[in-house]
Amino acid sequence: MTNAVKILALAMVLALALFIAVICGGYAPWYFAWLVGTTMIILISVSGAVLFETQESAADTDPQPHAGEKA
Amino acid sequence: MIDPSVVSLSRLQFALTALYHFQFVPLTLGLTFMLAAMETVYVITGKPIYKEMTQFWGKLFGINFAIGVATGLTMEFEFGTNWSMYSHFVGDVFGTPLAIEGLMAFFMESTFVGLMFFGWDRMSKEAHLAVTYLVALGSNLSALWILIANAFMQDPQGARFDPTTMRMQFQSFGSLVFSEKAQAEFVHASIAGYVCAAMFVMGISSYYLLTRRHREFALRSLRIAALFGIVSTLAVITLGDAAGREDYLVQPTKLAAMEGLWQTTKPPAEPWKLIALPNDATESDLFDFSIGIPYVLTPLVTHTFNQAIPGIDELKMEAAARVENGIRAVTALEQYAQTKDPNALSEFEFYEDDMGYGFLAQRFAPDQDLTKITPSDMPGIVTKTARASIPNVFVEFWSFRIMVAFGFAFLVIFAFGAYYSLRNTIERQPWVLYLAMWSIPLPILVALYGWITAENGRQPWSVFGWLPTFEAASTHSLGYMIFSLLGFATLYTLFIGAELYLMFKYARLGPSPAGSAEPRIAPAGGPAILRPGYAAKSWE
Amino acid sequence: MELYAVLKLIWVLLLGVLLVGLGTMVGMDMGVGTLLRFVGRNDAERRTALNIIGPHWDGNQVWFILGGGAIFAAFPTLYATSFSTFYIVMILLLFSMIIRPVAFEYRSKVEARNWRETWDWAFLISGALPMIIYGAAFGNVLQGVGFHFAWDGQYYQDESFIWYLLNPFAILCGVLSLALSIQQGGAMLMLRGVEPIYGRARRFAVSASFIAAALFIIGGIWISFIKGFVYSAPVDPAMAATPLAGPAVAMRAGAWLDNFHAFPLLWLVPVLGLIGMIGCALSLLAGRPALGWWLGALSWIGTIGTAGAAMFPFLMPSTTMPSQSLSVWNASSSAYTLGWMLVFALIFVPAIVIYTSWAFRIMGGKVRTETVSKNEHSY
Repeated sequence: MTNAVKILALAMVLALALFIAVICGGYAPWYFAWLVGTTMIILISVSGAVLFETQESAADTDPQPHAGEKA
Repeated sequence: MIDPSVVSLSRLQFALTALYHFQFVPLTLGLTFMLAAMETVYVITGKPIYKEMTQFWGKLFGINFAIGVATGLTMEFEFGTNWSMYSHFVGDVFGTPLAIEGLMAFFMESTFVGLMFFGWDRMSKEAHLAVTYLVALGSNLSALWILIANAFMQDPQGARFDPTTMRMQFQSFGSLVFSEKAQAEFVHASIAGYVCAAMFVMGISSYYLLTRRHREFALRSLRIAALFGIVSTLAVITLGDAAGREDYLVQPTKLAAMEGLWQTTKPPAEPWKLIALPNDATESDLFDFSIGIPYVLTPLVTHTFNQAIPGIDELKMEAAARVENGIRAVTALEQYAQTKDPNALSEFEFYEDDMGYGFLAQRFAPDQDLTKITPSDMPGIVTKTARASIPNVFVEFWSFRIMVAFGFAFLVIFAFGAYYSLRNTIERQPWVLYLAMWSIPLPILVALYGWITAENGRQPWSVFGWLPTFEAASTHSLGYMIFSLLGFATLYTLFIGAELYLMFKYARLGPSPAGSAEPRIAPAGGPAILRPGYAAKSWE
Repeated sequence: MELYAVLKLIWVLLLGVLLVGLGTMVGMDMGVGTLLRFVGRNDAERRTALNIIGPHWDGNQVWFILGGGAIFAAFPTLYATSFSTFYIVMILLLFSMIIRPVAFEYRSKVEARNWRETWDWAFLISGALPMIIYGAAFGNVLQGVGFHFAWDGQYYQDESFIWYLLNPFAILCGVLSLALSIQQGGAMLMLRGVEPIYGRARRFAVSASFIAAALFIIGGIWISFIKGFVYSAPVDPAMAATPLAGPAVAMRAGAWLDNFHAFPLLWLVPVLGLIGMIGCALSLLAGRPALGWWLGALSWIGTIGTAGAAMFPFLMPSTTMPSQSLSVWNASSSAYTLGWMLVFALIFVPAIVIYTSWAFRIMGGKVRTETVSKNEHSY
């Protein structure tokens, strides 16, 4: 039951996103670019931070190549 | 009759208050989304350092936000207090995006910003993250509606003049909201805000790295900021190109002034002027000197190789051709307003498209009354009006160039920052850190130059082609204007002093150590009173 | 009735809702600002008082901004004319209003006593002055304002600003509005504060309620002697919105009571206002601040409703050129604009009410000195 509700909710979000994309793409290409661009900027900076944590833990397990930086 | 010095002071006051307000807006637009990004990492990884980051940068955001809100109040009311003719003339259209801004965006931003600051312990992580995103969305939606309103001044879409109510009447909501100008302006301005915020965070993080404090905190902040910044700067340059092309299509006078084009261009070899000293008085470059790159201008502006760009000489001739018809339109309109004579109405409708140029000529007419123009006055008035239809070229040319040059400089700084940050060797490149630190105020300054480019280029119009700035002002006395101008100048100077003091104080102090229960900053009455000296001066 | 006239009517009602929202929510924060120096005798108490509205003042303030925006969009000629004729007063209002956000954010960020004392004075000024001006604006509009229009719609002012600041009826309205804001702010301080703030706030709020009630009654009697305005020729509510073609308007003492005589049911509005004020005082005395807060909101509805009912359909009558008086019928925007604005208002006003209530619920509960000192973001 809860799964069905979740899937339904996700489907609705997807439909809404498609609707916005179609409307924006047709009438407002730059607004659409802002939506996509902002999402991308956030995703890239977030993944940069996540990558930082990965690099950090890699450096912890293998201190050789990063010896200079881990004070 | 309106006193020209009152108009000048009204313009000065509006420019000062708008520029002042706009110092704080870009940081709000960008920092909110960056806070949301940091908090997203916190929710994903669960590492408390990212919560600390969100809170620390949030505090600096708060210091900035307060003045942004305060000075924004002025803007909402200044159209009414100083530009009554403007407000009457376009209120039917212009008021709508302003009111929607309040309803849809500003309310959301302001309500949730309180929860963002105070609600950490009162809701789940995810709910708080949603609140932060709503603040970011709210502040950017706010910019959206303001820029839709501004775009109407640049390129009035979706309205037409109505001689009965004597104002522009709203015709099409879609044309207003989806106007190309509004789109290009919003995206350019919003993302310019992201660049300001990225430089702010990267610069302060660099300062910590240079002073060897808060290392873990600064390295992470710098990573997020550099990546945030490089993509934003790329986007802002792309959008700047779109905005420039939009000017070419709908505001040829602005574009000609921006590029310093005294004569119509000769494609495709026309050079793009890098350096020149445009002289508005002689309508030529000083010493006829300019350094340019050939074959660049035409494709840059028109996105073709063969279209000519009209220069100031041609644009002035076009304007001159419309002045006499414009004067006929305005005099017919005045007659219709007073007598309801249907003949006057049909004459007005015949010349309606040139009405703006009639209003533009008004200040040059005897006693500012178009009906008093004699045939012998006419050639002089036509020349003066045509000349007045061109914005100040020197200001436009250089503010545009400063904006573009720094835009590319930021790209370089972010590129180095991102590269060395991704390789985790940023600490070995102190020059990048110094560069970033000293660049903190630059994107904000450049955003102000962007505003000057956009609004100086719109002159002499308040609503491009329809209502001149000169006619749009309220009929105040000089004394009123001096009073308000002095008041604003005093208050705003005090504000910026307090703002910079606090910003430096808290940026120097840095984030409090993770998990510390003891508030390090501004302790409340309780703990503070225990301190020696403070208790002695107890408040009772 | 034509659609255009209906839209104009709806929008004047919505404008009333916004002005009540402004009075209640912004007035509450202003009241707290005015009372700050008196309910808090030392720094810790003052910080506690500030943090009672800390999470909400920013959202509340948008009622003020939205009020301005809605007047601009729905009654552009009123926006253009009123703000310009009241220039000096409006600028003073802006000066005092723009100090407030800065005061909230900056006051507690530096420990120096002089710094905090200065901002506390700023709270007093930026709390009391805007509310006095808000009321005085109503007082002036009720008496009519000196202005006329040129053929192109540009206004010209025919009276000095000194009169708008200093005339007895406007001062009465200003003090009434200040008293209502103190009543509202006091109720909020009681609702979320503990002793000693609780007791001090009660003293101030209860006296404010009684003063407000007295002033409201005096104002009501006074208004029957003031020259009101009436259309002396038939007026078409669906007319094109321009003050230049207005039908003749007459000025007559006591004309502001005409609407009440024509529709006696309207007397309920001032009665509700009085019930609100007295009821608020009584419930605060009985230690029921939540009920008192809502009755305080009711007194705003009553007060602004009474002024609106008296003046309808006028918004800002002109004493020097009565036929160019601004009214609901001739100062509004076009039907198209009013229609679109209504769509947005119908969607977003309920949304605002919902998330504002949610925010108040999340941040609910008593604010204590200890909690204030624990949060780094505290004001």
